[in-house]
Amino acid sequence: MAGLGRLITGRARPGGPLTTTGLVVLAGLVVVLAFGQQYAGSVLVLAFTYAIVTTGMAVQIGFSQQIAFSQSVFMGLGAYGAALLNTHLNLPTLAAAPIVMVGSGLLALLLGSVVTRASGLALAVATIMLPLIATGYVSSAGYLGGSVGMPLAGNLWQANSPDLIAAGNGVITVIALGLVVFVASRILNSDVGLELYALGVDERTAASMGISTPRRKLELFVLGSMFASLGGAVYAGTQLFVPATLVGSAAELSLLIMLFVGGRRSIIGAVVGALAVEYVSGASEWVSVNILLVEGALITVVLLVDPEGLAGIAATLRAGLRAGLQARRQGSGGLAEVPGVREPAGAAAAGAVGAAGAAGAAAGAGRLRVSDWEAVAPGAGDVPLLECSGVSKDYGGLHVLDAVSLTLPARGRYGLCGPNGAGKSTLLGVIGGTVSPSAGRVLLSGTDVTGLQPQQRFYLGMSRTFQAVHLITGRTVLDNVAVSCLRSQRSSIAAGIARSRLDEARERAAAALDYLGMRGLAGREVSSLTLESQRMVEFARAIAPRPRLLLLDEPAAGLSEPQRDRLSGVLHALGEVTCVLLVEHDLGLVAQITERIFVLDYGRLVFQGSPAEFNDSAVVNSLLIGQ
Amino acid sequence: MMKFGNLVIAGIVTGSIYAVFAVCVAVWYRVSNILNLAVGDFAMTGALGVDYLSRVENWPLPLSILATLAAVAAFGYCYDRVVLSLAQDRLRRHEGIVVTFFFTFALSFFIEGIAQILFGTNVHAAPALWPGNSLSLGGGLNIERAGILVLACAVISGGMFALYIRYTLSGKAIEASGENYLGARIVGIDTRRYRRSIFVITAVLAGIFGIVESPITGYTYISGAVISLTGFIAAAYGGFRNPARALLAGLAIGVLEALLGGYVSAEYGDTVMYAILAALVLARPRAMGFESAVSN
Repeated sequence: MAGLGRLITGRARPGGPLTTTGLVVLAGLVVVLAFGQQYAGSVLVLAFTYAIVTTGMAVQIGFSQQIAFSQSVFMGLGAYGAALLNTHLNLPTLAAAPIVMVGSGLLALLLGSVVTRASGLALAVATIMLPLIATGYVSSAGYLGGSVGMPLAGNLWQANSPDLIAAGNGVITVIALGLVVFVASRILNSDVGLELYALGVDERTAASMGISTPRRKLELFVLGSMFASLGGAVYAGTQLFVPATLVGSAAELSLLIMLFVGGRRSIIGAVVGALAVEYVSGASEWVSVNILLVEGALITVVLLVDPEGLAGIAATLRAGLRAGLQARRQGSGGLAEVPGVREPAGAAAAGAVGAAGAAGAAAGAGRLRVSDWEAVAPGAGDVPLLECSGVSKDYGGLHVLDAVSLTLPARGRYGLCGPNGAGKSTLLGVIGGTVSPSAGRVLLSGTDVTGLQPQQRFYLGMSRTFQAVHLITGRTVLDNVAVSCLRSQRSSIAAGIARSRLDEARERAAAALDYLGMRGLAGREVSSLTLESQRMVEFARAIAPRPRLLLLDEPAAGLSEPQRDRLSGVLHALGEVTCVLLVEHDLGLVAQITERIFVLDYGRLVFQGSPAEFNDSAVVNSLLIGQ
Repeated sequence: MMKFGNLVIAGIVTGSIYAVFAVCVAVWYRVSNILNLAVGDFAMTGALGVDYLSRVENWPLPLSILATLAAVAAFGYCYDRVVLSLAQDRLRRHEGIVVTFFFTFALSFFIEGIAQILFGTNVHAAPALWPGNSLSLGGGLNIERAGILVLACAVISGGMFALYIRYTLSGKAIEASGENYLGARIVGIDTRRYRRSIFVITAVLAGIFGIVESPITGYTYISGAVISLTGFIAAAYGGFRNPARALLAGLAIGVLEALLGGYVSAEYGDTVMYAILAALVLARPRAMGFESAVSN
C-alpha cells in the first residue's frame, strides 16, 4: 500500500529525469575534463556525440518499437548542414546547431508524414531505403566533398589554446547530451511516455485505448531526427571533418549496435552502449582494424546474455544483489531463509482481490461509483446508442459477416454468441473500428462512425477488451489501467516535456482498481501476474474511462469461479448505467448476466431475444448445444 | 533496342541472383521467423574462399570449391547449434525484433570481420567455371558465360525449393513451423531441425552463387552486405513469407537496376531505384504483403 502512494505521486521508477540527467552530465563532465585532450578524451567526446543520437533511438526504437532506419541520414544532415553553414556563411557551429535541428525537424515532418503511415516491418523496409538514397547522393555531390567527406574550420568552442578548445568542445558535447537525456526521460515519465510504451506493445490495442497512433509515430520520427541532427552538428564541431561514411547503412547499423548493446529500453543504457562500443573500438589498433569482427561478437554475446543489453544485465545484477542482501538481513534476524518468503504478501493481495472484489462491487464502495457514469452519458432519448445496419465483411471470397443489423439502447447487458468462426470477434472489431466493413454502417448515438479510427471512437465513448491479453509489460498494473484514462488526444510530445498529466490518470485508474477490489495489485509489474489477473487488469482498463459502450471479447475465459462471480456482479452494476456487449462462449454465464442475446452463425444474425427465449429456441439449441 | 536488350539480359542475370537470395531469406523466415541478413556474406565467403584456396594455396579448383562449401556448411551448422539455439531455444527465448533482426545482422558483421583477416580488402573473384568471351545471341545481344551458369543455378534451385515446399511432407512441416512455432512443435514437428537444415542449405546455396557469379562482378569482404540488403528488400515485397513473390521481386529489382543504370544515370541509378522501391512500400503496404509480417 505504501508503494501505491508513491506510485500515485508519480515516482514510479527510481531516477526521475533530473536524476538521470544529473548523473549523465556530472559523469560526462568529470571524464571529459579529467582526460582533456588525451586520446581517451577524444574517444569519449565521440562516444558522447553518438550517445546524443542513440538516446533518441531509445525513445523511438526501444520503447515505442518504431524501427526506422533513418538516424544516420539525419545525423549526416546535421553534420553537413553545420559544416556548410560554417564554411559558407561563417556561422559558428554552435549557432549552426539549432538551425540544422529546426531544418531537420521540418524535413522529418514532411518525410515522416509519408513514411510513418507504414508500421512494423513495412516501416523498417521503407526507411532502410533512406540511408541508401542518401549515400548515393552524398558520395556524388561535389560540394559535400563526394565520397571522401567535407572538412570545416569552426570548433564548437572557439578559444586560443588547443587545450581550451578541447575542454570547451567536450563540455558542450556533454551539455548537449544532458539536454537530450533530460528531454527523453521527461517524455518517458509523462503521460505521453506511457502512450509510447503502449504503442510499443501493439499498435491496434494502443489505438483502441484512445492513443492517436499516427500522430505519436510522426512525433517520434521528428524527435528522433532532431536528436540525430544535433548529434551530427556536434560531430562536425568536434571532429572538424564530416566523413561521407557518417551516412549510410553501415553507419545506421553501428548506431543500432550501440543502442542494442546498451539496452534498447533504457536511456542510461543508450548512453552507456555508445560509450562501450566507441571505447572498445578505440581501445587498440587491432580492434579498430577488425572492428566488424569485434562488434559482431560483442552484440551476439550481449544479446544472448540479456535481450535488454547491458542495462538489462545491470538490472538483473541489482535485483540479485538486493535479494541477496535481503536474505542476509533476514538470516541475521533469526528467520530461516525460506525460499519464497516474499510470496505470502503477493498471495494475500491476490486473495484479497477475490474477497474484497465481490464486496466492493456489491456495495459500490469504490470511488468509481456507478453514479459517476450519469454525468458522462446522459440518457440519449429515443436514439439508440449503437446501430449497426447491414454490416458485411468479406475476406477475398469468404463472407465473414453478411448484412448484420443490430441495435443497442443506452443501457443494459447484451450477449453475442455463436459457434467458432461465426464472426463474433469480427463484428466486435467492426464496431470498435479495428476492422473496416466491406458494406454497411455503424452509428453511435445517431452519428455515423463507420469511417472513424479506433482512437476516435474511444473518445466518443467506446472501450473494449481483446480476446488475447495485450498488456504493457514492464509497467505496473496501475499504469496499465491508467493508459485508458490519459485523455491526451490533444497533447503532443512537446507537452509531455513541459508537464506530465500522468498522476491524474493514475488517480482515475486507482479508482477503477478499487472498484474491482484489485488495489492490492496496483504496484505489481503486470507480467508477474497470473493470466486471470491479467484479464482482470484488461477489464479494469476497459471500464476505467467510464465508457458509454463497453465491448468485451470473452471476458470470462480463463477466470476462476470466484472471479467469474465477481465479474458477473460488476457487469450487473455496469449494465444499469452503460451499455455492455459481450462475446462469450459460456452460455450459462451469458444467460445469467445478459438481458438480450444475439446469435451469429456463418456471419448471419440467426437469433435475437431474451435469455428465456434463448434457452427455448430450437435454432440456438441445434447450433450451440448440438441437440 | 540493342542497348535495351543487353540491359535486360544483364538485369535478369543480376536479378536472378537477388531472386535466389530473396528466396533464401523468405524460406528461412518462414521456418524460423528470423531474417537472414548474413546470406550475402555466405556468397562472399564462397567467392573469396575459392579464390584464396586456388590462387594463393594452389589447390585444384574442384577441391577448393568442395572445401569452401564444406566450411560454409560447417560454420552455418555450428552457428545454429551455438548462437541460434541459445537465442531461440534455451536461456530466455527471444521474441520480436531482437531475434528477427539482430542475431544474423551481428553474424554478418562477424563473417565480414573474419573475411577481412583471411582474405584482405582487395577485390577478388573465384576462377571462371566456364571461361571464355561472352556469347553472342545474335542481333548484337550478348550474354556472359557466367551469366548463363547463374541463370541455370537460379532456375534449378528456385524450382527445387518450390517443388519441395509444395509437394513434400517436410515442406508442409516447414510452412507449419513458420506459422506457429509452438503449435508445430506440439504436433511433433522438430522446428529446430528444420531451422538448422534450411539455414545450412541456404548458406551453401549462397556460397555456390558467389562462386558462379563472382567472375562477373568481383567481391570484396564487404560485398555481402549489399547482396543481403537487396535480397532482404526483394523478400520484403513478398511479405517475407512468400518465396514465389520474392523471386519475382528479385528479378524485377535486377532489371530495374540495370535499366536505370543504363538509361537514367550510372551515378544516380541506384538512388532512383531505392526511391521507387520506398515509394512502392508506402503506396501499397497491404498489396506488398506487409501486414502482420512481424507480430510483437
